[in-house]
Amino acid sequence: MRIAFLVAVLGGAVFYSYIAFIDLNFLTRTGRLGPGFFPRFIGVGMALMTVWAILDALGDRRRVAAGGPEGDNDAPAGTWSDAVLLIALALGYAVLLRLFGGFVATLVYLVVTLSLLNPGRHVQNALVAVLLPVGVYILFDRILNANMPPALFDILPF
Amino acid sequence: MTELQDNWASRLRAGAIGVAVAAPLALGGAAFAQSYPSADETLDWTIAFGPGGGNDIMARTIIDILDTYDLYPGDIAAENRAGGSGAVGWGYLFAQAGSGYGISTTSGSFVTTPLQADTPWQPADFTPVALLATDDLVLVVNGSSDIQDIGQFIEYAQSNPVTIAGTGTVNVDFIVPTLFAQAAGFEFEYVSFNSMADQTTALLSDSVDAMVGNPGEILGLIDSGDLRPLVYSGASTPAALGDVPTMGDVGYDIGVSMPRGLILAPDAPAEAQEWWIATMQQVVQTPEWAEYISSNTLTPTVLYGEEFRTFLTNTQNGFAEVLRSVGAID
Amino acid sequence: MDIFSDLVMGLSIAITPINMLYLLIGALVGMIVGVIPGFGPSAGLAILLPVTFGMDPIGAIMMLAAIYYGAMYGGTITSILLNTPGESATVASTFDGFPLAKKGRAGPALVMQAVASFVGGTVGVILITILAPLFSQVSRSFGPPEYFLLAMMGMLTLIVMIGTNWKLGIISALIGFALGTVGVDLETGQGRYTFGSAELIGGIYFIPIAIGLFGLGELFYAFYSGLHKTGTGGIIQYDKESRFWPTAQDYISTRWTMARHSVLGFVVGVIPGAGATIASLMAYSTERSLSKHPERFGQGEMAGLVAPETANNAASSGAMIPLLTLGIPGSASTAVLLAAFLLWGLRPGPLFMEQNPELAWGLIASMYLGNMALLAISIFAIPLFVQMIKVPYRILGPAVVVICTLGTFSVHASFIETYLMFAAGIVGFFMRLYGFSPAALVLALVLGPLAEEALRQTLTISRGSFGIFLDRPASLWIIGVTIVLVLILPLMGRIGGSAGKAEKAGG
Repeated sequence: MRIAFLVAVLGGAVFYSYIAFIDLNFLTRTGRLGPGFFPRFIGVGMALMTVWAILDALGDRRRVAAGGPEGDNDAPAGTWSDAVLLIALALGYAVLLRLFGGFVATLVYLVVTLSLLNPGRHVQNALVAVLLPVGVYILFDRILNANMPPALFDILPF
Repeated sequence: MTELQDNWASRLRAGAIGVAVAAPLALGGAAFAQSYPSADETLDWTIAFGPGGGNDIMARTIIDILDTYDLYPGDIAAENRAGGSGAVGWGYLFAQAGSGYGISTTSGSFVTTPLQADTPWQPADFTPVALLATDDLVLVVNGSSDIQDIGQFIEYAQSNPVTIAGTGTVNVDFIVPTLFAQAAGFEFEYVSFNSMADQTTALLSDSVDAMVGNPGEILGLIDSGDLRPLVYSGASTPAALGDVPTMGDVGYDIGVSMPRGLILAPDAPAEAQEWWIATMQQVVQTPEWAEYISSNTLTPTVLYGEEFRTFLTNTQNGFAEVLRSVGAID
Repeated sequence: MDIFSDLVMGLSIAITPINMLYLLIGALVGMIVGVIPGFGPSAGLAILLPVTFGMDPIGAIMMLAAIYYGAMYGGTITSILLNTPGESATVASTFDGFPLAKKGRAGPALVMQAVASFVGGTVGVILITILAPLFSQVSRSFGPPEYFLLAMMGMLTLIVMIGTNWKLGIISALIGFALGTVGVDLETGQGRYTFGSAELIGGIYFIPIAIGLFGLGELFYAFYSGLHKTGTGGIIQYDKESRFWPTAQDYISTRWTMARHSVLGFVVGVIPGAGATIASLMAYSTERSLSKHPERFGQGEMAGLVAPETANNAASSGAMIPLLTLGIPGSASTAVLLAAFLLWGLRPGPLFMEQNPELAWGLIASMYLGNMALLAISIFAIPLFVQMIKVPYRILGPAVVVICTLGTFSVHASFIETYLMFAAGIVGFFMRLYGFSPAALVLALVLGPLAEEALRQTLTISRGSFGIFLDRPASLWIIGVTIVLVLILPLMGRIGGSAGKAEKAGG
């Protein structure tokens, strides 16, 4: 995974550099630093550094495979499933926000998330899931007059 | 000034007007059987920038006047639909083509944003109501400078290339000095800043020779003598600037300014366009409007209907030509 | 002399029951607004300005100013408890604030940040009172060359942020610089990486990236390490009540830190456009280079929290100087204050303090009172915030997601920015997991565009010559101070070496 992440960064760096060299001028027509001046250095630097980091990571992996000690660069142990679950729930929340607006999306997200993370405590979960959106709504919409995400499909009666 | 920068002017009357905009737009098209405007329709007023920007203040000023004089019979729902330098808000209005109940105010970005991004709309696509005012610029030098008036400035600039500061490049701040310099026959380096505050600091610290800016934001420094106004780009100099000549007065009229006007959705019914033109003719007569013009040091320039569309097209073509010639846009 | 009688006159105007009420409301609202991630002082002010219509100008301006500096007090609370900076000026406060909380010192950290804010704010007001005319000269001696040098000084902080894994640290900073180049190029007006999208014309805004990387990234990581399964307690271990107050050692060890950075923060704040963010970053790196234990920074060192906190509050006072003496708003927040002045027909400029002495001195006097009120409010409110730590993490976690999301949305009402925040959260999780430096990314994103624009403006003005940096007295001053800092830094050994490379690469 570490290598996969670095490869993704490398992909970004190569794309960034490609645009910097193709689209953006190094100097302006009057000979000043152009819009592509810094992006070219940043892009190339990022690509080179990432390649180096990938080589390091490959080296670590080979050493570990050969029975050597773990490198200090390795990710600490943990549970992927829980992190992935939370990320997936957050993305679901993002989609709900666009469709049903801040209030409904928050309510649904909290009900689902809490029932997964905090199973069995229905009263506690229900209280949090209702009081938090209401509290935020009162604070943002009523007191601060700030923006809440509007609904594409308005299903609220008020 | 772009709207991002003059956001500081903040949401002046934002609280006063409700933001309930649940009005079903789908009904809009069918409702023209009776005379316009119908009191049952909610007017959907799009403000393409955040609360507090120049565009916001203008929209809310007009809405206040419409309310005060009972000029519009139905409800008006004003909503800030900010994003993408106006692309989001005007895109929203563009999507209401054919409706007479979608309306918006324009500002400089209405002309410049389509030049910079692939917006589905162009300024001339919308149904023009009226040009109400223009934003114009004053050229100033540091108060400690030896240059006393515009004649001396041009003379100096012809022998020593000068630096002039302004806000942004795809902006009237760049276009105005460029055209003026061409007309008056001098060369200069344009130094682009992010905001009026940044460029004013640069001029006060003697980093640049001169700058252009909206007079309203630097009157305090002009009054105290820290900045010296030389020439004004509008058709007539605002009272606050005293006897500063216009570019036309010194013989180099350039005729470019940022339009502040009112538009309806594309292909709005002729009836709606006519009603709004007649209404705006009343609005610009009110003392509230006069006060808005003077407190924001705008130039009152009024054009109605198709003349406004021609103005927009000419302004945009003029901008595109200058910007293309320096390579800022393709 | 005069100053004293002016101040007494100001106090007599400020101290009326109704004005004191406005001041308290402003301070309280400011703190609340500051606590919400995404809401900085500028967003809070813009949103609350309409409330002041119909109020008497002095009361209204006192209240708005209190919201402004009150937000600086509140902004640090989430930096310490959730590793989520509400705005750029409190990024530096996460560096040691959050480690302190993790070590079980959340209470002392919160109290010390309130004390540091009070000291910074109050010293700032004292300096305004006695030296406003002098400092107005400072704010008018800064042009693009000086801003470039200042941004480079801010980048010295990257040295610290790049951390032990310097390769990944540099990659992080370069990603930040790369994101910073998105948007229309200021000088040529050409779009860079905008791909025709109007949303990207203005560039990538810092707030969603910072909230995502720090707030959500940290949260995902906490779930990865299984914190939600532990019963109560959560992210931060919170010890007994007796550990709530800072120890005498905390005060004694940071007294000079506060003194130094009050002055430093104020001076940087006076410079329009530099403001509280650069002040807090400079304070952090300066403090680290002066410290006897630089290795403790980032591990939960009290001085590492106190330095940026003192500086950002002193800077927010300093920013009032260009506003009051030149009518130039030095930051987004003072720009909203300027709008408020204009609304009441007051036009700040060099003649403002002479023409409106009641208002100017009433405002200054109210800032003394406001800072005292804020210290008191903070001390009362901190126990409430500390309760938050006792909420089980499996409940606190989803709540943090909600607050970060709605806070981000509220700033510009933008779904794009909200999605950007989620994306940054996922990237932040991986960065945290594999030893990258989210802090270096965010700093590069803030400072990169500043440095690039200032350098290109400078070279346009000087027609390509770097000699301009040696021609201007203000530039020479900054170069002098930088040399002093850089001569101290190499003594810190290996980390110093890696940062030099980062600067060259990032420019």
